Amino acid sequence: MNGHIDNDHIRVLIADDDAHILECYREAFLETEPTGVMKMLDLLSAELFDPETDIVEATKFDVVSCSQGDEAVTLVGQAASDGRPFDVVILDIRMPPGIDGVVAGSAIREMDPDVEIVFVSGYSDVSRGELERRVPPPMRLHCFSKPLSFMQLAEDVANLVRAH
Amino acid sequence: MPREAATMSLQQKVSVTLLSVTTVLALLSYVILNAVVSPAFDNLEMQAAKTNLIRVDRAIAAELDNLRRISADWAPWDDSYRYIQGEYPAFEKSNLATTTLVELHVDLMIFYDASGDLRWERLLVDGEVADLARNGVFGLGSATEEKLIRHESVDSEFSGIVHTNRGAMLITSQPILTTNGTGPVAGSMILGRFLDSDMVTQLRRRTEVDLVWHSFDQHADFHSVETKKLLESDVGAVSVAVSDDVIDARSLLHDINDEPILVLHASMPRSISALGSRALNGALLFLAIAVVIVTAVIWLLLRNIIVKPLESLAGHITNIRKSGDLSRKWQINRRDEIAAVATEFHEMTVELDDARKLLLDQSFKAGRADTAAEVMHNIRNAMTPVINGIDRLGMVCSVTNGMKVEQATAQLADPACLTERKDKLLQYIASAFRHVEDSHAEGRNELAAVSTQARQVEAILSDQERHAQVSPIIESLELDKVLDEAVLVIPKRKTPVIEIDVQQEIGRFRVQGQRVGLMQVLCNLVLNAYESIARSKSSSGRIGLSASTETMGDVEMVRLIVSDTGCGFDAARKQKIFQRGFSSKSGNLSGLGLHWCANALAGMGGRIQAKSTGAGQGAEFHVLLPAAHQS
Repeated sequence: MNGHIDNDHIRVLIADDDAHILECYREAFLETEPTGVMKMLDLLSAELFDPETDIVEATKFDVVSCSQGDEAVTLVGQAASDGRPFDVVILDIRMPPGIDGVVAGSAIREMDPDVEIVFVSGYSDVSRGELERRVPPPMRLHCFSKPLSFMQLAEDVANLVRAH
Repeated sequence: MPREAATMSLQQKVSVTLLSVTTVLALLSYVILNAVVSPAFDNLEMQAAKTNLIRVDRAIAAELDNLRRISADWAPWDDSYRYIQGEYPAFEKSNLATTTLVELHVDLMIFYDASGDLRWERLLVDGEVADLARNGVFGLGSATEEKLIRHESVDSEFSGIVHTNRGAMLITSQPILTTNGTGPVAGSMILGRFLDSDMVTQLRRRTEVDLVWHSFDQHADFHSVETKKLLESDVGAVSVAVSDDVIDARSLLHDINDEPILVLHASMPRSISALGSRALNGALLFLAIAVVIVTAVIWLLLRNIIVKPLESLAGHITNIRKSGDLSRKWQINRRDEIAAVATEFHEMTVELDDARKLLLDQSFKAGRADTAAEVMHNIRNAMTPVINGIDRLGMVCSVTNGMKVEQATAQLADPACLTERKDKLLQYIASAFRHVEDSHAEGRNELAAVSTQARQVEAILSDQERHAQVSPIIESLELDKVLDEAVLVIPKRKTPVIEIDVQQEIGRFRVQGQRVGLMQVLCNLVLNAYESIARSKSSSGRIGLSASTETMGDVEMVRLIVSDTGCGFDAARKQKIFQRGFSSKSGNLSGLGLHWCANALAGMGGRIQAKSTGAGQGAEFHVLLPAAHQS
């Protein structure tokens, strides 16, 4: 499990059995700390060429990750009891040897009806209709297939949180 | 016996059952015949013995009646009446003489008057006149004599057997009356006949009974069971003693005072029981022969009609189990319930065979689907970091976006630019270059990471290639059935017109192979043949399918030839025809390729050969596979 907490951030829980994938998630969702050169460049650019330009703040995520479905269920339960529920839960569907993402998503939905649940899978023999039946409601259920751009996914997640 | 687990075969059970039934039947017949029929013969025999003695008894009674009738002629007669009263003395001279006794067949004639005085007597012993008293017949003054001499009424009459010193005598006494039968009683007339050897002979002749008699006092064994039984029984009772060869029947004759006087004894050979015994033995022999014949016939019928066909069917089922070939059919020409069972069994195995093939296909496809899903999952997982790495590379590549290096350079070249600004512009350009260098280094790292992920994808594919080397399931296949499915791939087009020439005997060939793989190979060959004919621009063509067997080393192989009248090929093309990626096809009909076919057949222990006499001469593809044994 890895992550940090900030009250202004979008709280995201990610569950995937592939450690490399989790690293990719973190790289995409967590803000990169600017280097000294970059800070210097930004300051000089503002001073020399465009002093009126507003610096746009990027969306910030509070990311918690785990490798098994039952861990994800436990973390959602703990977050709810701490009064800091997750805004988005991203689940892989196949996470051997534990429960699969659909079972975990169904349990999470029972604990938190408002959380956005995103299924991301390389392959699934579970149809969209089956997912909607087991993890309702459809408006808070989102599906993506691997391979995908996690940067794009981070933008999509930020957009759907803002939309709700 | 197809299975050793069975402790007793059907044949043995049938034999034991038949043997048991026939043995019980024979024993039962023997017991019934001996318990019922044989005693009936014994009873019949004893009844005959009794009847014989009864007939003797009746014959003696008849003799006594005859004596009584003679007496009835003489006693109630006026001449006799007057003679006794002394009124007719000449009667004696004219009627009473020895010859009279002889003519009347009597041994004794006596006349007494009413006072009991003897008036005339004559006793014949062995034909000679004898003295009464000396022979112990009369004149002894016994009570019996008194009874016979004196008649109290006209109805008085006595007859029976009396004892004399010369043996038993039949005797009758009637009152002498007038011819009209009126009295008073003038006297009595007594007639007698000895029960001597002549009488025995006479009775034997009349009754046909081997008869003897004995004096009761002299010869009866008073302690014997038979004698006691007779004494305790009613008059006329018969006692029978049975030995192995003879039946002895005895009865008692009583005298005029109802005292036992004679023991009648008749011996009879056991001819009836002997006849019965022979009849029984004959019947038992006949029964035994009949049982043996019926048993043999039933055994043969059961053997030929039920047991042998069932054994054959059981062997057929065992062969199917051992060979795993569910398409085998029981070859027997019958139309009965067993044939119906065999037909039902065959249809069931055919359905099972189809179901098994379907299951194999489904299992094959399901396995492929699972494998494909797993491969997709793994590859997509591996591709995700690649894509995200490329995203980051894209960011690196766009690192110069927004930089104003060109603008800064232009301002530096402006002589009006102040020194302090020039210094900051130079500092900006230097920082921009350093940032580009840093991003470049970061991009190299990302590229290395992407390269690593790409190798992971390659590793996943290599792993799948290793799994693809799993040996296929080899089974016994009927060539004609696989070919029936293969020829279905020929497109239904107007031209070219294709004639499919299938060798008639091809159905008898079986090969060992993997069904789906072989079908795909043959589909490919048939499709190649069609395309070759189509490419030859001919409006029609022929595809031939024939098979033969041959021995290669120690292995019996089936050679299947798929021939066509299409383009054919020259020696140069033949060298390349089984190479990977080689194709002479055009259009959209291409299949798996001959390289794949060769590999698939090699996996089944077979091989493929291509033959053609040259371009435009048609071609032959020879598929060689190990032969499967015929059913």
